[in-house]
Amino acid sequence: MRRRVPGRLAALAASIAIGIAAGDAASPAPAPIFVESAAAAGLAFTHVNGATGNYYLPEIMGAGVALFDYDNDGDLDVFLVQGGALPADASAKAGRDAATCRLFRNDLITGADGRRTLRFSDVTSAAGVGLRNYGMGAAVGDYDNDGYQDLLVTSFGSLTLLRNNGNGTFTDVTRQAGVSDSGWSTSAAFFDYDRDGFLDLFVAHYVDFTIAANKLCNDPAGARDYCSPRAYRPAPARLFRNDGRGHFVDATAAAGITKAYGAGLGVAVGDYNGDGWLDVYVANDGTPNQLWINGHDGTFKDEGPLSGAALNATGTPEGSMGIASGDFDLDGDEDLFVTNIVRETSVLYVNDGRGNFEDARVRSGLGALTAAFTGFGTDWIDYDNDGWPDLFVANGAVNIVEALRGQPSPYRMRNQLFHNTGARRFEETSAAAGPAFARAEIGRGAAFGDIDNDGDVDIVVTNNDGPVRLLLNQAGAANHWLQVRLDQPSSNRFAIGSRVGVERAGRPALWRRVRTDGSYLSASDVRAHFGLGSSAEVGAVVVEWPDGGRERWADVKGDRLVTLRRGTGRR
Amino acid sequence: MGALARTLHAWDQWGAAHDAYLRAQALAPRAAEWLYLDGVALQRLARHADAAACFDEALRRAPDYLPARAKLAESLVDSGSLDRAEVLYDALRREPAAEPVAEFGLGRIAAARDRHEAAVAHLERAVALFPEYGAAHYALALSYRALGRRDAAERALDEHVRYGPRWPAIADPMLAGVASLRDDAETAFQRGLRLADEGDLAGAIAAHEEALARDPSIAQAHANLISLYGRARNWAKAEEHYRASVALGFNLGDAHYDYGVLLGLQEKWDAARDAYRQAIAVDPRHAQAHNNLGQILERQRALEAAAAEYRLAAESQPSFRIAGFNLGRMLIALGRNDEAIHALEPLVEPRDAEAPRFLFALATAHVRAGHRDEGIARANDARQLALKFGQQELAAAIERELAQLR
Repeated sequence: MRRRVPGRLAALAASIAIGIAAGDAASPAPAPIFVESAAAAGLAFTHVNGATGNYYLPEIMGAGVALFDYDNDGDLDVFLVQGGALPADASAKAGRDAATCRLFRNDLITGADGRRTLRFSDVTSAAGVGLRNYGMGAAVGDYDNDGYQDLLVTSFGSLTLLRNNGNGTFTDVTRQAGVSDSGWSTSAAFFDYDRDGFLDLFVAHYVDFTIAANKLCNDPAGARDYCSPRAYRPAPARLFRNDGRGHFVDATAAAGITKAYGAGLGVAVGDYNGDGWLDVYVANDGTPNQLWINGHDGTFKDEGPLSGAALNATGTPEGSMGIASGDFDLDGDEDLFVTNIVRETSVLYVNDGRGNFEDARVRSGLGALTAAFTGFGTDWIDYDNDGWPDLFVANGAVNIVEALRGQPSPYRMRNQLFHNTGARRFEETSAAAGPAFARAEIGRGAAFGDIDNDGDVDIVVTNNDGPVRLLLNQAGAANHWLQVRLDQPSSNRFAIGSRVGVERAGRPALWRRVRTDGSYLSASDVRAHFGLGSSAEVGAVVVEWPDGGRERWADVKGDRLVTLRRGTGRR
Repeated sequence: MGALARTLHAWDQWGAAHDAYLRAQALAPRAAEWLYLDGVALQRLARHADAAACFDEALRRAPDYLPARAKLAESLVDSGSLDRAEVLYDALRREPAAEPVAEFGLGRIAAARDRHEAAVAHLERAVALFPEYGAAHYALALSYRALGRRDAAERALDEHVRYGPRWPAIADPMLAGVASLRDDAETAFQRGLRLADEGDLAGAIAAHEEALARDPSIAQAHANLISLYGRARNWAKAEEHYRASVALGFNLGDAHYDYGVLLGLQEKWDAARDAYRQAIAVDPRHAQAHNNLGQILERQRALEAAAAEYRLAAESQPSFRIAGFNLGRMLIALGRNDEAIHALEPLVEPRDAEAPRFLFALATAHVRAGHRDEGIARANDARQLALKFGQQELAAAIERELAQLR
């Protein structure tokens, strides 16, 4: 693993006035890669799962987080999804005191000397986003093309679309936008599948669980425990087509999405067969995963089983939860890392560029490293900015951990960090990642982005029935970087679905998809982040826009955030 | 210590079983059994390299124990040691009981090395030896795909779906000894499910009753006994278990639904209708309850209400093609042929044995909507597909309709 440059990092760390300057240049012990800073930065939130001993399945599944710049002030704000009491009428009785979703505004101040002060303010009430649903996840996208990112909240029993009014407040437009849904929605993704310039919406659903139909399940030792999703019927995903007038049309059946479905948990969008059109990958819990290939005519076909990315090597479906979609081996196509339940091992599906995947969990080393964990939120994150996408996984069990039997919260597991060696293999670096990685919690959602705008990717991790964690990256400063924000003047303003390539002399190009989806129940920063390694030099930046257009910028410099506006590059 | 380890193993306590097996090995280092069973536990913990080491040691003590040889090869593949696994599988091909597993293993190894022609040869041999080998069919599909043989790949995938996780068993007395230790309610319940799948109604009922005798709180056993006794036409016992299921308060949707089926079997239609409505009140997306309620309403000539229930069934579970078919039928009966076409069109794929009647209904809707040519084309399609699946009676009926149209 490439380590940080001590002097440079110490200078930067000391400049963040939230007490995270762990170690200095003279210290012999290496500083941790991540420092947990939620409480210090004012990110005070604890998830409530509402468990009462009835083992209602939704209790153990949530919840997620969204990282997005809702006020367009240049830094990432945090929206945290809340659970609450079950059944729903218990939540109603709780009234004003009930736990709600929370929005924290990032009040990051960067002084003239580069000194950063990271502080969050709870603006839930002012923004009007204190939902009292039994929340699951969040998705982010500017569906009305007004330049402000909107928010979709998935829940057990409802779906809520919050339109960003551009003045710090949101309006619940669920009904008028036509996205009402009473099922158990989980992960969702905004993407423009029909290339009309408006973001459409894919919403995964889990199972048909209801409180009244709760089933009694026991673990192998006979103790009451949460049921497997196999105890219930899977629920189909839904696809909503944006009609461009602030309204969505249910295109689920017309698009063929109902032809295959499982207990959906994770959703990622990418061009998996390399034809230039956006496809959808769905991670299902205990049922085959789907790979919805875009037919270019408003329809999709599930190529999951034949693609090799739906089942394990013996043809058995796995308990899949989260998805990391990205080009980990720098060959230009999008590969998939899917988190699975304990003992199955999480899986790396390597794409041949045409949508055929090879199960590389053994060869990559990731199988053995993840066998003892149940993984949820995840993403490719080049934490050390060396150019090779690494992996973070938030872990937490859904059934009693044998060694924790009899203890409170016997579902705790530690999170993991894996370093990409560049040879299609991964090494676990959790031990060097900081004390936060030694702490066992019930990890669920994870969102990724440069929260303190210092040039490396930070992480927000949510815990079921536990506090949120803010992992600030201390290692990225060892190398150079580039962040790209795209701007389309009139349609799909943040250009979600674009592909951004950074060309480098003598080294493979780096490709990133502009996205907010992936992970588990969570939405990440829409800006594309590139680690550049030891050289800040960039040959050129290439953008493949969602409608197939292509532009190139040759005069881009590293170690900064650049905004590339459509029409200003060379075609 | 060995007995403790085996007991923990029998109740799926893999980590604790491994610890106990380690102790048993220390106390009885010459015994192969603890090493072998420890290897099995480690496999379940996905510690494949450690499992391989255990199987190696076990085989030093009992070189001819076939399950250990097969599991060693499997663990080596799962830990990436393909060269050594290949040698072991090659030797296992000479053991008739292990030959399908050996061919499957060799196929996996060849595919991992991108030698798909060789993989196909091994995997085709595996499924020839054991036609229900679901995993081998799946591996075969992926190798066909890699060779560009898409049709063959899709056929292999169909076989995989048909057989699922079925696997050629190798007689394993050591592991059977562990399994026999488990005599709890859950084991009896699982045995009941297996017997029900195999069509042994009396055996399934006995196993479920045994499970409830050990643990009366297994709500699912009560729920299953509603339908099992219903199939045995023992209405009184079925009713008794329905009451018990409701009293326990778990999985009420299925309990009310099963009770509705039970009442339907007795032709108590009004009571069955009420039971389905109770199921829907508990679980508004209970597709089967909506469908069966629709059938009762159809019997009572409440066609609009029946269509509404069929629609809810189809929307709740889009893969439930019978509900979509019923909706299409009802819409045709109501003269809403364009809507019927819309409802029936998605049902014609996949083109399996169910598809001919869906296609025939679609043809009918087209003809009645005035799309005569499209209707004839669909009817011809339906007839050919019916013949392909040996549905002579349906094919003849379609032919008669076609003759009238001509």
